[in-house]
Amino acid sequence: MTAKTTAAGVPFDAQGELTDDARQSAAMRGFVSEFGAVAAANLEACVRCGMCANACHFYVATGNPIYTPINKLQPFEQAYKRHAGPFAPIYRLFGLAPRVTLEKLEEWERLIFDACTLCGRCTLACPMGIDIAELIKKARHGMFKAGLIPDRLQLMDRTARAWGSPATPAEDFADIIHDVGEQYGVKMNVDLDKADYLLTVAPAELTDHTKALADAAKVLNRLGASWTYHTQGFEASNIGYLNGDLELQEKMTRRLIDTAVKIGAHTLVLPECGHAYGAARWEAARWYGDKLPVRIIHMTEFLQEAVENGKVRIKPINQSASFHDPCQLVRRGGVNEAPRAVMAAAKIELKELENHGALAWCCGGGGGVVSNARADPIRYQAFQLKQREVDAAGAERFITACGQCRITLDLGAKHFKWDKKVESLLEVVADNLEDEPRAPLEGPGQ
Amino acid sequence: MTLLEFARGPALEAALIIFIAGASWRFVGALLLPWRLVHATPRAGAPSAPMSAIKSIFTKMWPHKPFQSAGLFTFVNGYIFHFGLAIIVLLFAPHVLFIKGLTGLSWPALPNNVVYVFGALTLASLLAALAHRLGSPVLRLISRNDDYLSWLLTFLPVLTGLLTAAHLGARYETLLAVHILSICAFLIWFPFGKLMHAVLFAFSRAMTGVRLGQRGAEI
Amino acid sequence: MSIEAPRAARPQTRPETLGEMLAARGVSRRAFLKYASYVGALLALPAETIPAFAEGLATARRQSVIWLSFQECTGCTESLTRSFSPTLENLIFDFISLDYHHTLQAASGEAAEDARKAAMAANKGKYIVVVDGSVSTRDGGLYSTIAGVANIDMLHETAKDALAVIAVGACAAFGGIPKARPNPTGAAAIDQLVTDRPVVNIPGCPPIPEAMAGALSYIVSFGKLPELDHLRRPKAFFGETIHDRCYRRPFYERGLFAEGFDDEGARKGYCLYKVGCKGPVTYNSCATLKWNGGVSFPIQSGHGCLGCSEPDFWDQGGFYRPLSTTLGDLGPALAGAALAGVALGAGAAYASRRHQAAYLKEPPLPAKTAASGGDRP
Repeated sequence: MTAKTTAAGVPFDAQGELTDDARQSAAMRGFVSEFGAVAAANLEACVRCGMCANACHFYVATGNPIYTPINKLQPFEQAYKRHAGPFAPIYRLFGLAPRVTLEKLEEWERLIFDACTLCGRCTLACPMGIDIAELIKKARHGMFKAGLIPDRLQLMDRTARAWGSPATPAEDFADIIHDVGEQYGVKMNVDLDKADYLLTVAPAELTDHTKALADAAKVLNRLGASWTYHTQGFEASNIGYLNGDLELQEKMTRRLIDTAVKIGAHTLVLPECGHAYGAARWEAARWYGDKLPVRIIHMTEFLQEAVENGKVRIKPINQSASFHDPCQLVRRGGVNEAPRAVMAAAKIELKELENHGALAWCCGGGGGVVSNARADPIRYQAFQLKQREVDAAGAERFITACGQCRITLDLGAKHFKWDKKVESLLEVVADNLEDEPRAPLEGPGQ
Repeated sequence: MTLLEFARGPALEAALIIFIAGASWRFVGALLLPWRLVHATPRAGAPSAPMSAIKSIFTKMWPHKPFQSAGLFTFVNGYIFHFGLAIIVLLFAPHVLFIKGLTGLSWPALPNNVVYVFGALTLASLLAALAHRLGSPVLRLISRNDDYLSWLLTFLPVLTGLLTAAHLGARYETLLAVHILSICAFLIWFPFGKLMHAVLFAFSRAMTGVRLGQRGAEI
Repeated sequence: MSIEAPRAARPQTRPETLGEMLAARGVSRRAFLKYASYVGALLALPAETIPAFAEGLATARRQSVIWLSFQECTGCTESLTRSFSPTLENLIFDFISLDYHHTLQAASGEAAEDARKAAMAANKGKYIVVVDGSVSTRDGGLYSTIAGVANIDMLHETAKDALAVIAVGACAAFGGIPKARPNPTGAAAIDQLVTDRPVVNIPGCPPIPEAMAGALSYIVSFGKLPELDHLRRPKAFFGETIHDRCYRRPFYERGLFAEGFDDEGARKGYCLYKVGCKGPVTYNSCATLKWNGGVSFPIQSGHGCLGCSEPDFWDQGGFYRPLSTTLGDLGPALAGAALAGVALGAGAAYASRRHQAAYLKEPPLPAKTAASGGDRP
């Protein structure tokens, strides 16, 4: 795993001991397995209008045309033409759709991984409705199979495969929970055999943001709900989803859902993590079909529910705040209203950023980019788009609902010595719960 | 056989056959690939799939606010030449007759002079589109031969059509023949390049609309 | 000519020049100059050359003309000879020495053929051959013969020593109806066969009399061919389209069309484009010179132009098929194309599924071999 560069001087990482042909072939297999009617209709519809460029934070921040979203799909599209498109046999016969070279795949590694956060803003900009973000996610499946992903992501992949989490071995999980409970004086439940709510975590919560574990517990306790964390299914962050490692994605997804089913939970609560939501809420259907055996909701949706049915009351905060919309949660997930409802309940005056809701700028670190040190320079440039908007909005506080966004924004703030502190919505709620718990208005849970 | 006879006869016939066969081939060939839409349990209250599809087809007709300023030229100019082309193709009396001859369907036409104005506007708009493509680093990077060829084959029928109407540059029947031949070239290329977006855009939009719509996300 | 006194009644000593003949007929010099100016104007001669033209015409010697009628209907001759009233054209045609014309000449049989040969011998290199009708070329041209001689042979024999050949009418100029699909006789236009003598085409079905007379006058007067277009038609008469000079043109521009021959639009005299008028691609003088002494022309009479002065006017998809439509009915072909496209598309999708499945089923390449393969098609 040493850093390499292509003949053109583009850095890339490569994993595994594969011949060039085997590597190229593996990538093609990954691509080919994705070429269905949806990808076809998308890939066939592009008119190269360039509208996607101005939707992409990496292009806008750097002005470099290579970051034009549709450009990131070039090898994928080329493979489609050669192997799946309606004229593929003719193209192959007459050599009109050339073989995607290994060199090209290596060169595109940084565009597919470093320069895309899968945020999907380009999807909304595309006049043809091409879901570019989804296609890049598909392209990652082939890149992963070829061992052409950034080493840092590969490392996390192996850790997650070995430990069940990129952050900590599963056997340490219960201890961490207990320690955090003691540290913050919150009653913790872990590994209960039966519970209505299965609470899950994101990796940062096991390292930097451990208070989130306590905060979540605090709210659930206040609800009087039956809930638990569980060693067999705790890690909601799905590194397989980001890396294009479908096998790992399935494993991670099954761990969560099977555990929820096992303990008889009616609801699986995902942590404040964006792609956890995308992976579990929207892609679990890959393995479970469209009738999921358990209700899967994001922490923000859970808070909205708790606040709106009156079981959890928040002290008026009476301050202004701007909200960073996590892409996977809002733009790609449809959870737009929930965070705003929770903030309204907390009497937070929302000062929206210029680009907000489904059209918000990405933090710049999603899709594994924040874990990929090679992408740091462009990530910082992209961060400044957000920084400028937050400064312009002039709110007192700055809140988000995704741990990964929070880390990215924190890193950006540190890099540019920006004095804004990014807060978690869960933390804001947990820190401001009404002191007197009220009697539940209705029966417990749902 | 005169050039005009060749254009109106075998050339147009061959072009139309290639156009129809090729477009159906590409359309069916793409859409009969395995459908791998992941249908998660939709969000409660999310619009139905057909609703999302229709909504997506329409909402994509105008960019979301943040993309309006940067995409203004692309969109406005795109509309100008698309509308212009539609008016020329569908509302010029000889074209109405052409369509009637092919399909039996007929509708009233616009006065020629009105169509000429749209023709000139369309021509200017297409030239602007090319200038934009050549002038933008992003577009230069992502453009392929297809883009330039498709542009040319859209531009030529408009240009030759106007020259024919104005009797400029050659004898009328020659201009008319060249005009028809340029349309033949357009029709022949249509199924193989990006011109197919005229058909496929709706499917692309609809599919993404369904994906985002079931999640209750903005389309 | 038929309106004139029979040939037999004419004086035996003919006037030597056209001027003398006209004078003998009581046509004043003033009337002749007026006529010469008229024809000169038709021929688009520059004003300063008209006196020379008139002088050339007045002093021209009798011109020997051999008129060959092949696969034709005699309509062209009718057009020339049955003009509305006796005109100067008739006189000019009286003046020429029509040495052979099997419809008009008195002689018949061998005597007629002898007359042709005698004229050819007497005026070698100076006589003009006028042809109406196309020439059968298939099977040695046996589908049309005169006196046992195939048209094609007679044409070659007669044209060989001609000053010029004037192909009169659509058939002689472009093959006309005999050449219409499926052209059973292998009919050909004159200029396809006569390649070593100057050929002038005066197409039309029939041609406008003034065009025939004008072209002939020009050659007689100047001893050379008038300016021709790429189809060898005198530009003076075939320089503009019917459409460009049509009095109904404003309706075309305003989008006002007759949809049928008995609708409101037809009654109002709207443009006939939609009912198949070929005026836009037809070069002729009908819209300006008109017919029957300037009385009318087809469009004025309510019928679209058939395009008879253009090559293969019979095979342009139909007289009532608008110009902007395809030549034939493509419905079945296009339905077939759509079906074929769907089948090909389904086949391609099936092949693609198979290809994808096979591609995915192949065992992965061994990690450490140099074996080539990779992206196997």
